[in-house]
Amino acid sequence: MTSLSVSHLTVNFGSRTVISDLSFELRQGEIASLLGPSGCGKTTLLRAIAGLIQPTSGAIRFGSQLVGVSSVVLPPHKRGTGYVPQQGALFPHLTVAKNIAFGLDRNSHTKSEIAAITQEMLGLIGMKGMEERLPSQLSGGQQTRVALARALAIKPKLILLDEPFSALDAVLRDELRTEVVGLLRELGSTAILVTHDREEALVSSDRVILMRDGKVAQNGTPEEVYEAPISPEIAASTGDVLILPAQQSNTGATFYPLSREGAGSVGSETGYVVIRPEEIRVSTNADAGAEGTLIHIDYYGHDAMLTVSVAQSVTPIKARVAGPADFTVGQKVYLQHLGPVRYFSRQ
Amino acid sequence: MGVLILISQPLIYLIIRASEKSGSDIVALLTRQKTFEVLGLTLALLCIVVFTNVFLGTAIAAGLHYVRIPYPRALFVATIVPLAIPSYVFTYTWIALIPSLQGLWAAAFILVLSTMPYMLLAVSISFARIDSGLIEVARSLGLSKFAVFTRVILPQVRRSISAGALLSGLYVLSDFGAVSLLNVETLTVSIQNLFKSSYDRSAAAVIGLLLFLAAALFVSLESLVKGRDFESRGAEGFAQRIRRVNNLPLSILTTTVLALYSLLAVVLPFYVLISRYLQNPSAVAPSDLATAALSTISVAAMGAFIAFLLSLPLAFLITQGASAFASVSEKVTLMAHALPGVVVGLALVSFGSRLGPLYQSVFLLAFAYAVLFLAKSVASTSAALALVSPQLKEVAATLGKSKSSVTMQVVFPIALPNLALGVLLVFLTAMKELPATLMLRPTGMDTLATEIWSFAAISRFNEAAPYALLLVLIAAIPTFILTIPRTAKNEIANSENEKKVSIST
Repeated sequence: MTSLSVSHLTVNFGSRTVISDLSFELRQGEIASLLGPSGCGKTTLLRAIAGLIQPTSGAIRFGSQLVGVSSVVLPPHKRGTGYVPQQGALFPHLTVAKNIAFGLDRNSHTKSEIAAITQEMLGLIGMKGMEERLPSQLSGGQQTRVALARALAIKPKLILLDEPFSALDAVLRDELRTEVVGLLRELGSTAILVTHDREEALVSSDRVILMRDGKVAQNGTPEEVYEAPISPEIAASTGDVLILPAQQSNTGATFYPLSREGAGSVGSETGYVVIRPEEIRVSTNADAGAEGTLIHIDYYGHDAMLTVSVAQSVTPIKARVAGPADFTVGQKVYLQHLGPVRYFSRQ
Repeated sequence: MGVLILISQPLIYLIIRASEKSGSDIVALLTRQKTFEVLGLTLALLCIVVFTNVFLGTAIAAGLHYVRIPYPRALFVATIVPLAIPSYVFTYTWIALIPSLQGLWAAAFILVLSTMPYMLLAVSISFARIDSGLIEVARSLGLSKFAVFTRVILPQVRRSISAGALLSGLYVLSDFGAVSLLNVETLTVSIQNLFKSSYDRSAAAVIGLLLFLAAALFVSLESLVKGRDFESRGAEGFAQRIRRVNNLPLSILTTTVLALYSLLAVVLPFYVLISRYLQNPSAVAPSDLATAALSTISVAAMGAFIAFLLSLPLAFLITQGASAFASVSEKVTLMAHALPGVVVGLALVSFGSRLGPLYQSVFLLAFAYAVLFLAKSVASTSAALALVSPQLKEVAATLGKSKSSVTMQVVFPIALPNLALGVLLVFLTAMKELPATLMLRPTGMDTLATEIWSFAAISRFNEAAPYALLLVLIAAIPTFILTIPRTAKNEIANSENEKKVSIST
């Protein structure tokens, strides 16, 4: 395993710039998520790291070794990256065992070594006894496991996972993700996970790299990107948000619909405050916070999202409460914002 | 690049040969009454067959897919079986039934019978690909069943109708056996006559070029009308069965038409072949039959193999992306598709006499097959290679495999069944080839096709029957393979992946 450094990477497809002057670093053993909407360049970045496409400019280093510049330094088959594409892409003509052993070089490994590694990998993914099956005889989750084992078998310097769980149903996806991330941590793998699922990014990585239009919009720990987003848009990409107009005085006090200081005067707002719905406490006691009327409930089971109309705000306020929620539409409720005040000036 | 030159060689040679005539001679040849008659007859035949196929063929295919009929699967296979029967065998069985059969309408009738399966197969494949969800959505948006057919289904099968028309039209242009047995002098017959009677090879070359021009014009016409290529994405995971229309008069009509077609194109020809054979089972010595079969198989196999080798570099280029070169070579091979057997035969005969020992050798005939069916071979080879998902190649590369190992360990093993199928198809098409075989076969070598033709031409139907039965039975093998529904889920899943990769990059 190695550290990774990507510096000033630009990838053009014809006249279209897909990745533009992008830089980030990954420590050895660190798991990073690349999170962003479709078309933002996540998969392209992954493929450039694997050597499958050629960057226009910039450099990619594994540890201190330069592996990629605009004139390819190392072709994909000499980079030693373990690449797990969407839906696994198992070789349909090979058995599970042969798929896992595919990347093991017959010149540098004896037959018994190859068999031993294959068995070790099968044990790792919990699929011992299935070595003679063909990919078509496996479930979606098993295919993903085999694809991972195949990538791990070559003792890669870096693991690259391109939305490996996207084809699976929700329950299986959560289970398999926990399992795979656990395995990668156990092995101390440096890994990059491409995803467009914000929860997946937050729960499975040490570092979340948020991508927008071929650039890194924010790069930090899951807590940093969730708690301290650099813009309202970035905040929205990691979870639900409430964006309210706000006014900041010269002394630094912030006035917004739920602030203790009260709302700013209409027409003199200078920016926005970004609030997470779970930071709002909803109470039925008249002494607690701004008064409002509950106008809608979205019930999710483990929690519920309440929509409350308050006099101070044109935008209805959304607040998350833990289930089972004992509220009825039309009742009077009182709202208090407990979290940090994230103010962004307008421009 | 060398491959392209090789394909265009016959054409270049024809031009050289034709230019040996003086300009005024060429003009005289082209403007004489006879040439106009031949050209007019050829185009009339082309139009009748293609239009009948487009309307009747689409209607029959639609009936097969959308109308409730008894035994749809068996009826479908019955409509495809005629693919195995070469047009000269069709003609011969019908002449054996009705000895006075001849002329334009008889030729049109026979050629519709033998080309209809091309149309049915092409259109059926697209009908089968149409997502039933689209039909349900259209119905829920208030379209009647008829409107669904004209506004949702037809636009999606338009390209296939066009492709079927192209195939059947090229078949008509290049057909020699049927028209010659029915005394219809089309361009192909005219070329053969000029070549045989007067040995005026330059005149034959001029008419040969005229035929090539007609074919090329037809190919470019087809690419004009075929319309845009849009992907019809089938439902992922659950492909629902299309509900058939349950309407008694429509069912009776469809079943009757299908039964009639099967009667005319399958039952009657087989009845004639079998009864003629049984009338005198010892008309042909088994050793003669075996010799003809053996030489047919060996020369056709050689041709198919050469075509496969020639198609590989082109197919790799085509599947590796739409570079300018690949698209040019794709067009050239399409043009090769428009080269009728008579033209290739003629070119290689003239060409061959300079080759010394190669002239009238088995190798030259095999090479003629390779040139003739290269387009088919390129199409099947590139289709087979394209089924190997690029993702698999990429994964193999990240696992330490060089480009050549990826090709050997991933591309070929996965593409193998389809590559083999492609070679088999070319092999069986080459077995049925008649005009080029007549021109190029070594002296004394008889193939099944030439034996059938020579016996049928002199009305010795009993002798032709065993050769024809054998040829049709062998040729029926790939026809049955073609009708087996493709159930390889991996291939479908991989092509889905392919789309996703191209979207996400």
